[in-house]
Amino acid sequence: MTGSPKLNFDINGIKECQRNRHPILFLDKVVDVVPEQRATGIKAFSYNEWFFPAHYEDEPSVPGFILVETMVQTFIMTFLTMPEHKGSKTNFLNIGNGSFRRQIIPGDTLVVNAELASLKRGIARGKADAYVEDEFACSADFVVSIRSATDAIFQKMREKHS
Amino acid sequence: MSENNEKYQKCFMEAFPVQKQDLEGLKYQDIPEWDSIGHMNLVAALEDEFGIEMEIDDITDISDFRKGKEVLSRYEISI
Repeated sequence: MTGSPKLNFDINGIKECQRNRHPILFLDKVVDVVPEQRATGIKAFSYNEWFFPAHYEDEPSVPGFILVETMVQTFIMTFLTMPEHKGSKTNFLNIGNGSFRRQIIPGDTLVVNAELASLKRGIARGKADAYVEDEFACSADFVVSIRSATDAIFQKMREKHS
Repeated sequence: MSENNEKYQKCFMEAFPVQKQDLEGLKYQDIPEWDSIGHMNLVAALEDEFGIEMEIDDITDISDFRKGKEVLSRYEISI
């Protein structure tokens, strides 16, 4: 939406929106957020990260699952910044079209652009693309549920069809 | 076969790994993919395909392939 105010979140602001915490919270800050539309997550990887000594000792790079998690943590900020969903727990439902084209090494800053395609009855669909210094690094499509919103429907399904 | 029937079958075949000949007797939880999450994927496909937004009671009423047609008729969609 043209003219929508863009919001910025530091680490405390991120923690108010989503329930991930150290050592699983990977975002440093989230900027240019238009709730229910888009968000940009920023993560600076230093050698102090817990995984670099193990992946790999002689050639440290960010494991793929952490890139996926960093992208989806940015994606969920597109809707967890909406007042009615702030602080909700989320579940992964689906991931598709994962693409990884660049190693991320100590010193790299990953910039993740996420877009929300739809949010219906607590099920969010969208995508994220990530870059290092404007060079494409990775991308994926996501389907994520907001547990508080989907639990009621799933409970009703169980009652009707068990 | 009506255009709506084609669309209806397509939604099921996109949501679940099933062939056209398997659709008629297909029921909720008959296959691992048609669980509660799969059900919501099916509902999303039906809503997108037919341009509707279903009520929660209607969503949970879709217990099998045939019942889904009856539910869609509540939205004036004839399969």
